[in-house]
Order: sequence, then structure tokens, then C-alpha cells
Amino acid sequence: MVDVRNVRGGNGLDGISAEVDEILDAVFQRTRQASEDFFVAFDRNPDPKVLSGWLEPRCWREIDYVFLLNEQIRRYGLGFKRNHITLLAKQSFQEAEHYEMVGRAIESLGGTVPTALPTEVEPWSSFLWDCLDRHPLAAIAAWFTSETSASGSFEPTFRAAERHGLDEVMRIYKRIETDEKFHTGLGRQILSTYARTDGDRQEILRAMRGMRDLAWKTFTPESVALAKMAS
Amino acid sequence: MGVPTVRSVRAATAEAFSSSCSAEPAILDLSVVAKRAEAQGVVSLDLALPDGELLPAWLPGAHIDVMLPDNVVRQYSLCGDCRNNRAWTIAVLRETASRGGSRYIHDHLAVGDRMQVSRPRNNFRLVDAEHYLFIAGGIGITPILAMARQIAAQGKPWTLVYGGRTRGAMAFIDTLRALRGGQIHICPQDECGLLDLPRFLDRHEDGTKVYCCGPEALIDAVEKRCSDWPIGTLHRERFAPSTKGAALPKGAFEVELARSGRRLVVPPDTSLLMVLEEAGYTITNSCRAGICGTCFIRVLSGELEHNDDVLSDAEREAGDGLLVCVSRAKSGLLVLDL
Repeated sequence: MVDVRNVRGGNGLDGISAEVDEILDAVFQRTRQASEDFFVAFDRNPDPKVLSGWLEPRCWREIDYVFLLNEQIRRYGLGFKRNHITLLAKQSFQEAEHYEMVGRAIESLGGTVPTALPTEVEPWSSFLWDCLDRHPLAAIAAWFTSETSASGSFEPTFRAAERHGLDEVMRIYKRIETDEKFHTGLGRQILSTYARTDGDRQEILRAMRGMRDLAWKTFTPESVALAKMAS
Repeated sequence: MGVPTVRSVRAATAEAFSSSCSAEPAILDLSVVAKRAEAQGVVSLDLALPDGELLPAWLPGAHIDVMLPDNVVRQYSLCGDCRNNRAWTIAVLRETASRGGSRYIHDHLAVGDRMQVSRPRNNFRLVDAEHYLFIAGGIGITPILAMARQIAAQGKPWTLVYGGRTRGAMAFIDTLRALRGGQIHICPQDECGLLDLPRFLDRHEDGTKVYCCGPEALIDAVEKRCSDWPIGTLHRERFAPSTKGAALPKGAFEVELARSGRRLVVPPDTSLLMVLEEAGYTITNSCRAGICGTCFIRVLSGELEHNDDVLSDAEREAGDGLLVCVSRAKSGLLVLDL
């Protein structure tokens, strides 16, 4: 299988690539464990509403990426090569498709598609947008980490979807899995292409560390329970 | 942020390269243990490991690359019995315009000589069918002989239409006649004229698969007769890449889809992915820019031009796959495992 960590770009991550990979491994593992825990709980109580509650933060993340990527292009895009503007726009389009698809899955489970920032996603969203304000590469580093975190949820999701006969969820997440290989590959390519100074690299690490500590949290069963209480 | 410096990743080590490959040697050093005249201008060679060890398994339709002096490499179909794993048999036609390959084998190679050959590769596999129609022209009989032998052993019905310039130049006629279950039509051109393709390819018969090997004119004629038959019915192998390729515009290339034998032309300004999609294939993909790696397709033969951003140097050097969204053939024909 092709490994997007091999993606060619520049040498901007030289010197920090070991920590970058450690962060990615850590956030992947944490999210996988959180997702496993969620589906263990779901197996005991396979209430479609519970699953739709778990999907709602995913759904918001998709549309928040659309807003953010477009703002990223507007503010900083002309500092990038033209093909990277195109690819960021393409990612934005795919995130919009994911919002639509995950939204359909939520509705099929009897849930409500979020049209405002859900409480449990607020820390994630605030951090992402703060990163955008701080540095041209920081938000990219943050969503690169967040997208890697989401990929940790796929295998548990696929196994659970198979156990529970959730064909639509399976189909949607297979498609998202494919697209996230693009998004994570693009994130790494942009960071390695445009990071030049130690200051750039420190901003990248700061964003990745922060997102590592946040991105997995909405995958836990506790997060769904808290959200339910809040609503 | 600075000006991007594209890093040239040239760190692949021999270790990394070999780890991506089979632990078995890719090239075998074999001995010629028999050499026979099979017809006018055709000799066969039996090749075996010098220590008598077992050779790698193969299936009908497979060919090997034979390394000859002066860096000449030629492909020959295995035409012996695939159940015999002590020796491989190839048959070689003396080409009148030989640049050293067949002439060397005919005039110089002798029993006891050693030669280096590749492991078998198979772009012309037999698929399951109720009935087989084999069409062979000249030395194109070699893969067909191995196929007919297997189908005869399975007790399935088969028909062979076999053409050649003269009866004396057509190899393996007696061997074919000794096989069970087949209807054999031997058609030397000086006796019968050109093969009567309309008689055998008048209409598609359900359950029949057609396997054709021979000169380009024969393959073209068979393709034409079968052009509106269901995909996957006709399987063919040419002696050499289609000369149609020579007429392609600069930057265009041809792909063959091994599982169906179907051929497609990729124009210079169109991606292989788009051509495959237009031909009705669903190829997983996302970025269409050589980053995500999801459209990786295995390649069975051909020279690759990698334009992606994600395959490692070792993966590129292995030459066994490409990202169809951006990568292409350097020249000639690509055979895809599709």
C-alpha cells in the first residue's frame, strides 16, 4: 500500500520529521482507542441515535474544514504555488461532500445534522481557527494532525458497521478514507514545501501538539454522553 | 515561509529495494538439456536447473525473458507441460531479420550450455470457460500448445485453428493431434489460403473463450471479427508490441488490460485514469494529482514514467505499478493487471 508519509515536497520538515511522525502516530492511536471504546459501548446499546450522536462532531468537522480551507486560500493562498491552491480547493470541495454524506448518514440514523458548532467540538474548532490567525502554516499543521486522527477511527468504524449491518455508514467512510489519504498527503507536502525557518517549524509543532491533545476527544463514548446531557 | 526547495529523494538503499521484492532470485541460471528441430526453422529447447532442483511453477500463457549475448533479451512462451517442474520448454523460430536472438539460439546454443532467464510472467492467462477456441498463427502456437494440453487434461472441449506458411514450417502438429477432446484445423497457407476466420468467428457463442496468438495481421483480423463481442471473450498475445503504436502521436501510448486482453490508447493530453474511466472502469482515486496513492495499479510489463509525488524510489525502481492519475508509459505498451 502506498504510504503518504513518503510524499515528495521540500525539506521544510527536516529536523522535526521524527517528532512530526511521533505526533501523528500518537493521535492515530488515541483516536483508534477512543473509537474502539465507543463501539464497545455501542455494541452493548446499539441505539442508532447514539451512533448519530457520535457522527455529529465528525459532520461538523467536515463543514468547519470547508470554511477554514477557503479562508486559508483567501488569506495565504497567493503565497503558495498554483497547484497547491487548486488542491486545497479540491480538498475543500471534498470536505463539503463529506458534510453532505455524513449528514445523510446521521439522518438515516434518526439524528440531526449540525448547522451550528456543537458544544463538544468547540475546543477543536477554536484551536484550529486560532492556528489560522497565528501563522500561514499552523492551521494546515493542525488539520493535517486532525485528519490523521480521523483515520484512526476508520478500522473500528468499518468493523462495527459490518457487525451492525450499517452499509451506508460503511460506504460513506470508505470514501472518506480514500479522500483522507489525499488530505494528509497534501498537508505533509505543503508543510515540507513552504516551511523554511525554525520559527515556521516551531509553529507547525505547536499546532500539531495542540491538535494531538484535542482531536481524539470527540471520538470517545464519554464525549457522546456529555453531548447528550448538554442537549 | 520560503521558496520551495524540491527535495530529490534518492535515499533508497539496495536493502530497501530488495525488501520490496521476492526473496527468490529474479533471474535463474539454467542449462540447456535438450534441443530439437520441431519444424522448418523452429527449434525447441528444454531448460533445467543444473542441480536438477524444481523450477518455479507456471501456468499456460506464461513467458520468460531469455538473456542472450550482447544484452539481447527475448521473450518466449513456455510451451511444455506445466505439470513438469523439472524442465521448461520454449520453441524459437529463426527470424529472417534476426538481430542476434533467434540466430544465436539456432546456430550456436547447444545442449549443456547455460543461459539466464527470468521467472515466468503471465499476461495471457487461461480463464475458466465451457469451451475454448484457440487461434494460432505460426510460432504463435507455443502458448496455445500449453493451453490446449491443460484443457485436454481437464477433459473440456476445445477447437484449434492453426495457420502457417507451409505444413512443414508448422511446429507441434503431431503433439497437438495426440491431445484429447479437441477439434483441430490445420491450415497451411500454401494449401488453404488465409485462415477462414468468418467460419470460426461468425458469432459469439456463450461459454466460449477465444485465445489468439500470432502475427499482428492475424490478431487485428480476429479483433475486428470480435469487436462487438462481450468484454473478456477474446484474449490475445502478440509476438511484439502492436506496431499501431508507431502511428500514435508523440506522448501517446497504449495499454493492455491483462484480464480481458482489451487495448486502449492514452492520448498525450489525457491521463490513463481518464481513459480507464471512459472505458467503463471504476478506479479508486481522490486527488488525481499523484499525492494520495489510491489509484495505484499493478503493471505486468512496460516501461514506466512516474510523475507522482508519493511512491518511494524503491517502489519506482520495482517497476511493478503506477499511479494512473498522473503516470504514463515511457514508450510502447503497458500491460496492466486490470
